[in-house]
Amino acid sequence: MLSRKNNERLLIPLLLLPGVGYILVMIVTVLSMTVLQSFGFYNLTGESHFTFKYWMQLFDKQFVDSFLFSAYVGLGSSICSMIVCYPLALFLHAKFPGKNVVLPFIRIPLFVPALVATFLIINILDYHGLVNEILVWLGLIKEPLRMRNDQYALGVLFIQMWKNIPFQLVIVSSALEGIREDIKEAARNLGAGSFTLFTRIIFPLTISSALVAMIMVFIGTFGDYSVTKAAGPMYPSSMAVLMHTKAFMFQEWNYAACVGVVMIVAVIFFVACYTKIASIFTKSY
Amino acid sequence: MNDISIARWPVGGRGGSRFSIRINQWFKLIAVTLLFAIWVGLPLFMGVLWSLVDPDHPWSYPHLFPEKLSFYHWEHAFKYTDIVPAIGRSFFIAFCSTLLAFALALPTAYALGRMSFPGKEAIKIVILLPIMLPGMVVALFLGRTFIMLGLSQTYIGVILGHALLGLPYMLRILIISFESIPQEVVDAADNLGAGIWTKLKEIYLPLIMPGFLAGSLFTFIASIEEFNISFVIGSPSIQTITTILFSYLGYNFVRTSSSVISLILIIPNLLILFLFEKYFKSQYMSAALGKV
Repeated sequence: MLSRKNNERLLIPLLLLPGVGYILVMIVTVLSMTVLQSFGFYNLTGESHFTFKYWMQLFDKQFVDSFLFSAYVGLGSSICSMIVCYPLALFLHAKFPGKNVVLPFIRIPLFVPALVATFLIINILDYHGLVNEILVWLGLIKEPLRMRNDQYALGVLFIQMWKNIPFQLVIVSSALEGIREDIKEAARNLGAGSFTLFTRIIFPLTISSALVAMIMVFIGTFGDYSVTKAAGPMYPSSMAVLMHTKAFMFQEWNYAACVGVVMIVAVIFFVACYTKIASIFTKSY
Repeated sequence: MNDISIARWPVGGRGGSRFSIRINQWFKLIAVTLLFAIWVGLPLFMGVLWSLVDPDHPWSYPHLFPEKLSFYHWEHAFKYTDIVPAIGRSFFIAFCSTLLAFALALPTAYALGRMSFPGKEAIKIVILLPIMLPGMVVALFLGRTFIMLGLSQTYIGVILGHALLGLPYMLRILIISFESIPQEVVDAADNLGAGIWTKLKEIYLPLIMPGFLAGSLFTFIASIEEFNISFVIGSPSIQTITTILFSYLGYNFVRTSSSVISLILIIPNLLILFLFEKYFKSQYMSAALGKV
């Protein structure tokens, strides 16, 4: 028995190798390529040597605007989606007839590719789209609003919300389902009303899942290329668009690499912030 | 509504409140259905309408609906664009990358799901890296490496990239499947003298089957709708459905053509969603999508 245990121990690295090894090789390649190129190595043409030149040139107005824009889109869509998603998840948590029939339909946007979602929502939000027509008809606005390629990226935010609310709904709903019924019963027996039940039981037990859902949406939208390119403003562009344009249009791979490093660091920073918030919430209860 | 409740449930108190709860529930169903119709149904409906606009009768302000419908744009898309081979290419790439991801994930998921060793939790975080890093950064600098290796603009390059993005989903779902196999079953097989192959064939593979299907569906869909890697590594030599759609949306906006291609791109996903609905259990969904 003991020797078999030992055999299994030897087996573990072998078993881990295909999955973890593949991911590590690829990711380490990507990361080192990004960092090294940002310091002037691995140039396609010309000399390759260590230099801070590209980092010194990086922080111009275009770059700062792009960074702020991406952070705005990322934070905006993750927060706005959760503001809609959380009450909706509570609303859908209760039993009602036909729930199992309706729910798969609400999940549809989860399975709609981002580019298709972009197209579908642009249709609705366009200058003579349905939303504008209805608002004008109702007399709420005099002139149709500009919601595509607009300065405030309203179209982008709306597309991201459309696609990501069902995604967050799945995560928050499963957290809600995970709360054991007897805990809620116990709280009710001790005289908790539905408000206390929410603030003392349901909210603390779902907040970490909600934050994870927000992190996932933030990562996706902060680094987004296609939606911003199609529906976002001409200037500023998102970080991903800036990076891709510099690399492929102008062959400035070193500049693109610097942008890439900043993106990775920013994602790590924001994820750390969200995690910190989650730990504050869970500690306070 | 109150009158009806009195008529049908003349005994007051409990009966009445039960009925009002039921009304409340039906109200919820109607509210949710309406919400769905506006949130999902309306954009899809408008998309379908745009794909059916007749080129001789333009649909423009102030017409709320197109005057005449025709299949002109569908015929045009199938006849004169690269869309049919692109569908084939997308499915071929998705199939290969799913297969590769499964082959790579199976042994690793077994180790992470059924064995205990130090550093396991750290490894479970590491396997999330491909979907935690910004997609365009991964695509661009993986592409840059592939240029040096000669894998850029090849099927192998795109498949390797898509398998990388699918692996986290596949791994996480398979780990959960392995974890949920009761130890008694494995012990019983051990006692009856089953070797590792017998256990694999008779216990592990049948019991992880639902997880395998769910993981494959996730990886498959992730590959079909993936844009960044297909765009950087694949195009222009290998055009998939997403890169074609981007050419209609990102560079020059052709609404009718993009509507046809959008709908073509949705159909397989929706088929998968509804045909395999039972495999998208919430435990798999949340395992794949969140719960770090």
